[in-house]
Amino acid sequence: MSLTRYGYHNAINGFFEFPTENARRILPRGMEPVEVHHGSSVLAVTVFFFHESEVGEYGEVVYAVLVPPFVEDERLPKGAFFPWQVATTTRAAREHAIERWHLPHWMDDVEVDFEPGDGGRALTARVKAEGSPALEMTITDHSWQEVSHLYQSFQQDDDGKYMCNILFEGEKSEHEEETGRIQLYDHPFNKDIEISEVFEQPFREMWMREGHQLFDPLRQL
Amino acid sequence: MEPAHKKAGDKPGFAEYDYSNFYYGAGDDPLNLLTPFARWYREAVPNGYYLYQEALESAPTTHVRVRNGKTKESQDLLNLASYNYLGISYRPEVKRAAAEAIEKYGLGASGSPILSGTFEIHQKFADELAQFKGKEACIIFPTGYSANVGFISALMRSGDTIFLDQYSHASIVDGAILAKSKTVFFRHNNPMDLERKMSRVRGKKLVVVEGVYSMDGDICALPEVLEVTKRHGARMLIDEAHSTFLFGPNGRGVAEHFGLDKDVDFHLGTFSKSLGGQGGFVCGTRELIDYVVAFSRSRFFSCNLSPVVTAGLRAALQIAREEPELRAKLWSNVAFLRRRFEEEGVDIGKSNSQVMPVMVNNDAKVFAVAEKIQDRGLFLNPVTYPAVPKHRSRLRISVSAAHTEEDLETAVGIIADVLREEGICR
Repeated sequence: MSLTRYGYHNAINGFFEFPTENARRILPRGMEPVEVHHGSSVLAVTVFFFHESEVGEYGEVVYAVLVPPFVEDERLPKGAFFPWQVATTTRAAREHAIERWHLPHWMDDVEVDFEPGDGGRALTARVKAEGSPALEMTITDHSWQEVSHLYQSFQQDDDGKYMCNILFEGEKSEHEEETGRIQLYDHPFNKDIEISEVFEQPFREMWMREGHQLFDPLRQL
Repeated sequence: MEPAHKKAGDKPGFAEYDYSNFYYGAGDDPLNLLTPFARWYREAVPNGYYLYQEALESAPTTHVRVRNGKTKESQDLLNLASYNYLGISYRPEVKRAAAEAIEKYGLGASGSPILSGTFEIHQKFADELAQFKGKEACIIFPTGYSANVGFISALMRSGDTIFLDQYSHASIVDGAILAKSKTVFFRHNNPMDLERKMSRVRGKKLVVVEGVYSMDGDICALPEVLEVTKRHGARMLIDEAHSTFLFGPNGRGVAEHFGLDKDVDFHLGTFSKSLGGQGGFVCGTRELIDYVVAFSRSRFFSCNLSPVVTAGLRAALQIAREEPELRAKLWSNVAFLRRRFEEEGVDIGKSNSQVMPVMVNNDAKVFAVAEKIQDRGLFLNPVTYPAVPKHRSRLRISVSAAHTEEDLETAVGIIADVLREEGICR
């Protein structure tokens, strides 16, 4: 069985509360969002910069809704995502992800910049699409640990429904100190999100560094 | 090559998971989650989850005998885990009243409160409670949980909007779910966030707050939150589960403490905290209570509160009214403990009440800390995610008027020593 590996120096992720009504508009029929509490689901925003992949270096932004994991094996998933918008900085990365993973894409290159702050204790990602700002997200650190965490990703396109196990390995900081921030701009990139309803502070922040993702082959459901 | 999800590697330990990982399972069988949950739980129990549901073998006084969940041996412990804020539940007058009631009525109510389960003792108690709260009428529920669920779902409907503080108790959230209203959470104790969210909503609106928040022990920013509520034409429910019989000149609660008793629309409370009994109540106008009697499903589809417990509660209420020195002693204990924790460098968060979280802020260490504390003679419960945010794990203290300063000094010594050994305080 061949695994697909993506190495990164930095990847940041924020979990933001947003209305379940909004999550349901994004999710395909039959898929349920995980609710933080009644009426409030989770918008997961992740920004990567991969330095090691089959298609070279590239940046990537993923918008996803948190969904229930498929609990079947001895190893329990930490969580599961339904990514509904993925944008990359290169055409090769985009075509690879569509062909290999059936991931839905923003079909133009985006610009992704990372800027460290607070003496290295914070990292800000700025994303531009069509030349104008679409997203700015700052994630802060807490305590760092070497981890090996299993996540799942669910995809759906015209050809079918898919699932993939993804192992994240490397250094990770995860906390709920509410010290990060997101700014979602009024931009076609964010057309599926009711921006005014998204909590601007993430209730959970994750920062992964010097790590990699290992993808199992895609499974058709 | 081995699949990624079966890769042996450094698999996460039990602490990387919690109950929230087992809400949803794959497949069509509701039992599919049992095996993965059981596998995780078998690892979690000896590593600290045994500290939950440890059985008490004595009354919940300031000292208790507890069956240790790990060794299965009995331990005599100083108790800072039980509510019983006024130390009333085991007073002789209360026990005598309950004993007389069991002679007269037998064990339970044997019926729904709207059918055969209402006794004259329930009506007398409701009247006495309404008088104590300075309201026209009162309705009694079998538990505090059913009071919130029953009242909120009786009042609000589909199409209405309920605004909840993000730290709201589960019973408030469940009441909103059962009401089928739109639920909007606002940032904890943050009137500006409430303002922002209320400004977008039309129609019937209810704002729900708590007098004292049960996991952090901080008091509601009532004047500011109420001002926003009223400006937007909404009604307010205050849940005084942890504040009735304690706050305010007459012990009516946090609303009285702020002089806003008449401005808050609906007053809810429980008997399990300050009185150490069981049950919940709502006070308001006679019209309101008559309406809630008719529409609170959690009450009229439950058996009424036992007349035995009700008799004990009447005696407990009388003590709470006639002995204001109990409140004075409680606040003196709270002040003493706060000062000593400050001197020892123990973090109790934003608590300004008798509920004090001892902040451990380390999800991996909190069980080890709790285990050491119990082994040294103190009964305290760990609280972890998802009851509190990740990395804000803690031990929750309930101070009682019955504690002596010697009890509290002993507790401070044990807690501070363990936290120092674990590198959690200076």
